[in-house]
Amino acid sequence: MSILEKLNAIKDTVPHYWPIGAFIHHNPLKGFEHLNFKEALIKAQQTFGGKVYMDPDYYIGLFKEGKISSEMLEKNLLRVLKEAKLERYLEQAKTFMLEVSPLWNSYRSYEDLKINEIDETLHSYLEENAIYKDEEAWIASLTKNMTLYEIHDALFGTSKKELIEKDVIEFVARFLDQQQTTLSMTDRDLGMFETFKLYENIDYIIDVEEFVQEALDTLKVQDVQTYFLTHILKLHGWAGYIKYRSESKEYYAQQEHPSTLMDYIAIRLHFEVKYLRKKKINDFEKLQAYIKSNTPYAILKLLQAKGKLTGTYNDAMEEHQDYQEIVDAYAKDEINLNSLQVQLAQKAVQLDDMMPVAFSNFANLLKKEEGFMWLKSLEDSYIATHVDAFTSPHTYDKKPLSSTIFCLDVRSEVIRRKVEESGPYTTYGAGGFLGIPILFVEFDKAHALSLAPAVIKPENIVFEIPVESHETYNSQKSVTKTTKKVLSDLKNNPYTPYVMVEAIGWLFGFKLFGKTFFPKKTHMIFSKSKPVKPKTTYTLDKLSEEEIEKYVKRLHTNIINEVLTTQFGTGLNSSDIILLWEHLVFDKPLKIRISSDIIDNLKQAYHITSEDYEIQKVNLAKVGFTIEEQVMYIENLLKMIGLIDAFPKFVIISGHGSCSDNNPFESALDCGACGGSISLPNARALSMIANKAEIREKLIYRGISIPEDTRFIPALHITTTDEMTFYDTEILNTKELELFLGMQEDFKNASLASREERAKVLPNAKNEKDLFIKTMDWSEPRPEWGLAGNMGVFAGPRDSCRHMALHNRLFLHSYDATIDNENADILTRIFNGPLVVGQWINLEHYFSTVDNKVYGAGSKVYHNVVSKIGVYNGNYSDLKIGLPTQSVIEEGKAYHEPVRLLTYMEAPLETVAKAVENSVAKEFILNEWIRPVIIDKAAKKVYSYEFGEFIVIKELV
Amino acid sequence: MLIDFILLFLFAGVPYYLVFENIPVMRKDKIFPLAALLVIAGMFISYQFPQETSMPFVMVAFFASLFSLHKANQTNNLCKLTYYILFFNAPLLIMFKTKESILYGVSLIVALMGVYLMGKYYARSYGSPNYQSVSGITLVTPYAGLILTVYFTALALYPPFPNALLFLNGILKSEISILWYLIVIVIFFGNFLIAVRVMAKTVFGKPNDNVHYIDISPTERVVHLLIIAVLLLLSVIGLQEVLS
Repeated sequence: MSILEKLNAIKDTVPHYWPIGAFIHHNPLKGFEHLNFKEALIKAQQTFGGKVYMDPDYYIGLFKEGKISSEMLEKNLLRVLKEAKLERYLEQAKTFMLEVSPLWNSYRSYEDLKINEIDETLHSYLEENAIYKDEEAWIASLTKNMTLYEIHDALFGTSKKELIEKDVIEFVARFLDQQQTTLSMTDRDLGMFETFKLYENIDYIIDVEEFVQEALDTLKVQDVQTYFLTHILKLHGWAGYIKYRSESKEYYAQQEHPSTLMDYIAIRLHFEVKYLRKKKINDFEKLQAYIKSNTPYAILKLLQAKGKLTGTYNDAMEEHQDYQEIVDAYAKDEINLNSLQVQLAQKAVQLDDMMPVAFSNFANLLKKEEGFMWLKSLEDSYIATHVDAFTSPHTYDKKPLSSTIFCLDVRSEVIRRKVEESGPYTTYGAGGFLGIPILFVEFDKAHALSLAPAVIKPENIVFEIPVESHETYNSQKSVTKTTKKVLSDLKNNPYTPYVMVEAIGWLFGFKLFGKTFFPKKTHMIFSKSKPVKPKTTYTLDKLSEEEIEKYVKRLHTNIINEVLTTQFGTGLNSSDIILLWEHLVFDKPLKIRISSDIIDNLKQAYHITSEDYEIQKVNLAKVGFTIEEQVMYIENLLKMIGLIDAFPKFVIISGHGSCSDNNPFESALDCGACGGSISLPNARALSMIANKAEIREKLIYRGISIPEDTRFIPALHITTTDEMTFYDTEILNTKELELFLGMQEDFKNASLASREERAKVLPNAKNEKDLFIKTMDWSEPRPEWGLAGNMGVFAGPRDSCRHMALHNRLFLHSYDATIDNENADILTRIFNGPLVVGQWINLEHYFSTVDNKVYGAGSKVYHNVVSKIGVYNGNYSDLKIGLPTQSVIEEGKAYHEPVRLLTYMEAPLETVAKAVENSVAKEFILNEWIRPVIIDKAAKKVYSYEFGEFIVIKELV
Repeated sequence: MLIDFILLFLFAGVPYYLVFENIPVMRKDKIFPLAALLVIAGMFISYQFPQETSMPFVMVAFFASLFSLHKANQTNNLCKLTYYILFFNAPLLIMFKTKESILYGVSLIVALMGVYLMGKYYARSYGSPNYQSVSGITLVTPYAGLILTVYFTALALYPPFPNALLFLNGILKSEISILWYLIVIVIFFGNFLIAVRVMAKTVFGKPNDNVHYIDISPTERVVHLLIIAVLLLLSVIGLQEVLS
């Protein structure tokens, strides 16, 4: 196995980390999805450390609040006890879970050890099973997941880790920088490893794999694969980002400055070798020899480094007492404490008829299983409540004035409910990005945004083009852009800030003061100076072959003209420019006299060549959609949500986005399915397509009849303030506009009601008006709760859940199983897009809540943006993956309730089974990373998928 | 001369703890009360028999002080640390004038008494006054964290805590010499470094998952509140002295 293969074998342990500008929620344990959820969590805990379930206290709190029902807890306990043939101890097990488990660690008390007698049989049993007897195994367990320099630090009190990680981060952050600094690292186009060689003066020819092999040989590493993993886990945020880049060939920064995970390993190993070179113990063979001859001392130092050595032993170490005696005393005390823990727990449970050894096994079983049991009991309790509500009969008025299709998000639940309550309106939820993946080039922007889930690569480019005069906008925008650029350069240059602060620093004081104390007024003043964007439309139709050729020709001739006049001072008339272009692109004989320097320059520096001509044609061919594609996207959307007849007067297609200030995580609050961007362009594109007469004609043949007078209107739902803004309303006639304005007023009232409901759970929000302040306040770490609290998805008719107040906790996807085909294509599409994104969002929140240190980003308060790709703590740390504490935790307590995605599907069991079989989500569904619940109204049964099978959890009447 | 010898011994100018540390019956947690008692006795004697400080004695105390600094940097035991810090500050007690020496000595003993009681609390809760594994206490045992922060901030000579003010008062009112500069600089930075080293490992950092943290009891809180109140009173006196 080559070292590249060894690296590839372990690299998926760390998840992708997308740049923060396009924050993609993801499952931090993606690499473990091939395993069953419960099994994967055990493995992940061994790999990453940290917690994978909440503490027992948390679940007990929920139990006392009534969120976890006693019935569900007993059911799950009984299953575990039955497997161990201990079902007769159900009551005692419950007592253990509720009363003893939270105190479990406190039973290991030195004070209590003095006054309690240890049971000899139990002591012998625990001693027999303890690792302390085998010192070699003990050392192996203590050094697991430790690099050589970490072991060195532990044994000899050095600080090599700090030096090595700092150097690694410094280099990596500078290399990966995306124009945050004005003084970029040079020669980055050579690639990460080659640049590193220049940076570290490695002046011999060697490729990265040879270099890594050389370092491994120097360190005398035996298990290379494990050592790679150990290194990757040290800074798994940076490793995850480099992994993402190296696997995203279309990522511009990667194309410009290539990097691979092997390069990263090479850098890490280089610093490890460098800093240990002069040390006595600088390879694993020497380390093993040292440990062999100083085993007790090594054990104690390793225990000390891991914080496992208590005060008494630390005192003894300080006094240089006999190390073997200290180790023996430690082992003895540990076993005594373990025995005491079991004895005191048994006393608390009052399980006198059980032998202490048997109770030890009983307690260990419950401790091992309790995290999963609590989690499942919580989920089961919610499922029971939800299923009862979903299956209770409700009927609604079927003649609405409008139907609003919301881009799927938990945050649309409240506003949907309020809209429906405000008048004759219905709502739908449609899979994020509304099923239309686009590469969107915004007006006055040069780059394309991918508005689709990270797993989908859009093939259609949509340009936003102005439909009214935009000179004023352009000039204002140009002034703003120049000012920003100058200020940014002055701020980020290492020398200029000294002068800048003295000269113009005070000017910033106004903004600083205003934004802190009068955010609303300051926002009003500054927003007035912002240029107003002109009205725009989208390029939705494909260009003809002639148009493509015309545009490429125009692009090339413009470049030629620009180059000739600005660089060579040679003006040519348009016909000569065309002759020159034809020569460059089609190799036609040149009938005019032009120096070869100019020709070479145009070819090499500006790529005016036949190859570029073809590339540009291919790119332009991606602009817009064919008629068939347009029909397909509309058909898919409408069929996906079950809206194929009885169209109302207005169909609103609403995207969503968030609004906040000074928030590097802002894109985490935008549409996750649109690559962390606002999904308005998708909504506008679909509305424009749906309003076309020729599209509607074709839709009739596909079973969708949209009345001539139905109007599709795009909208944007701002999730922070629940405001809804409508676009492209100029297509409405006077009569329609009158109706529309009335509807708009109702929507405003719905927004207000929605804000009032949300303000009750948002910290530091006294009333709905405070929600607006949060969008402008630059010191606000929590502008909205975002997706925190998400717990499930419902795919079925809106009427089944319209009566439920779900408080922004469920993704509500509209789905009508009766119009799905035998192959369950519609449900499969829902599984492939929305369910995948929903699972990523859900598990990102789950793990960021259960252990924010390991899987989350920590507190926003310490964050600094680094290299424009993410945040880290202070001036160097690992790249922070996951969500900040402020997104999931409120005043030290979890706001987000971590549960797996409760996936309710109102459809026949066979349809769901077919969709699972066809879906890319099959692996994580079958491995129970979500909780599938099938409401089969035809069969009058509700099924839950658990422990590898569908079980009936409710019979419908 | 005899008084100088007595004061050198009583003001912790001689590291007699080296002997006591090896006597099992003394145990480490009894050395500080004894040393504090001897310092108080020294204060009483110097008050009764005021006299000029003899430089050779100050120098002896200074060398002993450097040794105590070394010892303080070697230990993570709060009880041991209390008498190391006391011995480390001995040259100042000998060098300052009587009134300033007594005031600084009192504030030092009061702050160290607080640390000593915290050491006892550590011993009760975690088996020993050794704080090596008990990190990040501010987050998990906020009362203990706050109290320890107060004591060590005072010992680090941060104003407006009395140690800093009375230290300033002492140096302003003593006679300047090269030895004076040397001692003042070493002891000023020494106190700061010892205190910061302890704070970094106790009140700051991440809590240790292997430790079951127990915050101080309400009764202990009252005792520490009283000590802090005394420190506050000494701050007021210190401020008056500096301004006078």
